[in-house]
Amino acid sequence: MNGRPFVEVRNLSRVFDVSKPWLNRVIEHEERKLLRAVTDVSFDIGKRETVALVGESGSGKSTVAKMVVGLLEPTGGSVTIDGVDMWSLADAEKRQALRRRIQMIFQDPYASLNPRWRVGSIIADPIRAFGLAKDRAEIEHQVGELLRLVGLDPADAAKYPHEFSGGQRQRICIARALPPKPESLAADEPTSALDVSVRAQTLNLMRELRARLGLTYLFISHNLAVVRHMATRIGVMYLGRIVEISPSEELFRAPRHPYAKMLLDAVPDLAMTGRPRKMVEGEIPNPISPPPGCAFNPRCPAVLERCRREVPELSATATASSAHAIACHAVAEGRI
Amino acid sequence: MTETPTLSVRNLRIEFPTRRGTLVAVDDVSFDIAPGEVLGIVGESGAGKSLTGTAIIGLLEPPGRIAGGEIRLNGQRIDNLSREAMRPIRGKRIGMVFQDPLTSLNPLYRIGDQIIETIRTHLPMSEREARARAIDLLTEVGIQGAERRIDSYPHEFSGGMRQRVVLALALCAEPDLIIADEPTTALDVSIQAQIIQLLKRLCRERGTAVMLITHDMGVIAETANRVAVMYAGRIAEIGPVREVIKSAHHPYTRGLMGSIPSLEGTGDRLTQIPGSMPRLTAIPKGCAFNPRCPHTFDRCRTERPDLMPVDHSLAACWLVAPQAAEAPQ
Repeated sequence: MNGRPFVEVRNLSRVFDVSKPWLNRVIEHEERKLLRAVTDVSFDIGKRETVALVGESGSGKSTVAKMVVGLLEPTGGSVTIDGVDMWSLADAEKRQALRRRIQMIFQDPYASLNPRWRVGSIIADPIRAFGLAKDRAEIEHQVGELLRLVGLDPADAAKYPHEFSGGQRQRICIARALPPKPESLAADEPTSALDVSVRAQTLNLMRELRARLGLTYLFISHNLAVVRHMATRIGVMYLGRIVEISPSEELFRAPRHPYAKMLLDAVPDLAMTGRPRKMVEGEIPNPISPPPGCAFNPRCPAVLERCRREVPELSATATASSAHAIACHAVAEGRI
Repeated sequence: MTETPTLSVRNLRIEFPTRRGTLVAVDDVSFDIAPGEVLGIVGESGAGKSLTGTAIIGLLEPPGRIAGGEIRLNGQRIDNLSREAMRPIRGKRIGMVFQDPLTSLNPLYRIGDQIIETIRTHLPMSEREARARAIDLLTEVGIQGAERRIDSYPHEFSGGMRQRVVLALALCAEPDLIIADEPTTALDVSIQAQIIQLLKRLCRERGTAVMLITHDMGVIAETANRVAVMYAGRIAEIGPVREVIKSAHHPYTRGLMGSIPSLEGTGDRLTQIPGSMPRLTAIPKGCAFNPRCPHTFDRCRTERPDLMPVDHSLAACWLVAPQAAEAPQ
């Protein structure tokens, strides 16, 4: 990393109010219910780096992505893109200028394309919205170029989304994200709705684009193998917090946090080495009433009294490299 | 095999008559599952794997229909039974586990009532005996405090717990065969591993045959004894799981394996299969995989390969045909 990272996320938090309406609360004597989807998440994404967030459902990874691209307002903390704070900007115009530098790709290519629009109009929409072309002919030209870039035919612009397969639709989604020449793409589970062979095509395309356009990715996935294939750095999330963040290689070679170990161990073994698997006990607790202390403590094999009281901080002290940080008392105390 | 297989499917063909002609969704599919064996069926969306499962339990939605072939359960033919005659078989002799545990449980009934009802439909038991059995079953599938939890509603359980309940429901009449259609797809990895272990253990203990339908090769590698790879409504390759995964014979299987990013992987470009699965309206002539296959030669475009023995497997590919030596690579 040279100089400032492209995206800086600092102490990002998001609380959702999931309480019943006021009157019901008064009648039923209920407290307000708050769901802490994301708590105190900090990480950097350097230029041309791919940072992935992995975790199971309810870990808050998608919420982080939405806050980073500016689709959801954080309740605490900040997202700084290229030195400019995304949420403190009063000036809507400046914020828009910032936003066009980071675009998003969503999980379900069936739901994220308007079925009544031709593919050409779908891709032309951001070109028009950002005023990136002077006239019709130029728009058409750009749309054609983009389609070619993602491996489709310029003639496909006249078709409707239903005429394409899932993988091709995801290509269209990628093409649509590219007109404002973003430096960064946030991809939220871009391949989990796709079949295996098509998934490989999409992942390869994303890697090609990264090399060709110098893109920076924030990649959200629950699939560790996919993440390993894409990411240079990986943050493992559990119940709204990052429990371990590390260079990709290191995480897969030697995960330290008990949850990260568990997650790696749970991946079905395709190599059929017959390695014994530690069974993972229990499930993710309800984020409305998380356990006190470390959120992982009810499932953790190395749990001690302290884990039930104190929330562990993400720290790099117990590891060799400063890029590898872990939030675990047991690791910090050198017990595991 | 000398003993009668639990399930035997022969030349199964499923058609959908449409205005623009008949679509053949499953074509000439044959396989056996022995007692206690887990047969994995893999394939991408539209390969016909779920349809095969639905046809076996007799729940094919019209206008889809079985247009040919035979399905035998313990030697008895079940594909030509009436709806009435099929009902006691479904649930009693064939248990089912579907992808989404929330939709396979009735949200308005306590889970205990649903299990007790199923037990009493199939087994002559009193309410009290059935309840005791339901509690045993729930304990066996790993639900703690089953005596208490039996009176909970489905929404009070998490996804993984619900899938355990569904598993208990499938097992409650001691079926000979369980058809599990993507049983772990809706679950998180850690929970997925738990459910796979559970399914494996229960079936081993009871000698239940399992037909495991999934798109996830990892799940198959962990669970199945044998695996059938389906493509465009046909079986492309069927054989022992180790052989199919480690040294596949069919180019489609090889492509499929190569396109799965692995944890040990080098992070290089993934092998990709160009194109996508053909639509049912436009299945190519000859071998259905020929437009995407890296080894296509003339014969593939004109003649459709049948399953041919190679090592311990069967593969539907001209490359493994005895005279393949003369074929250009």
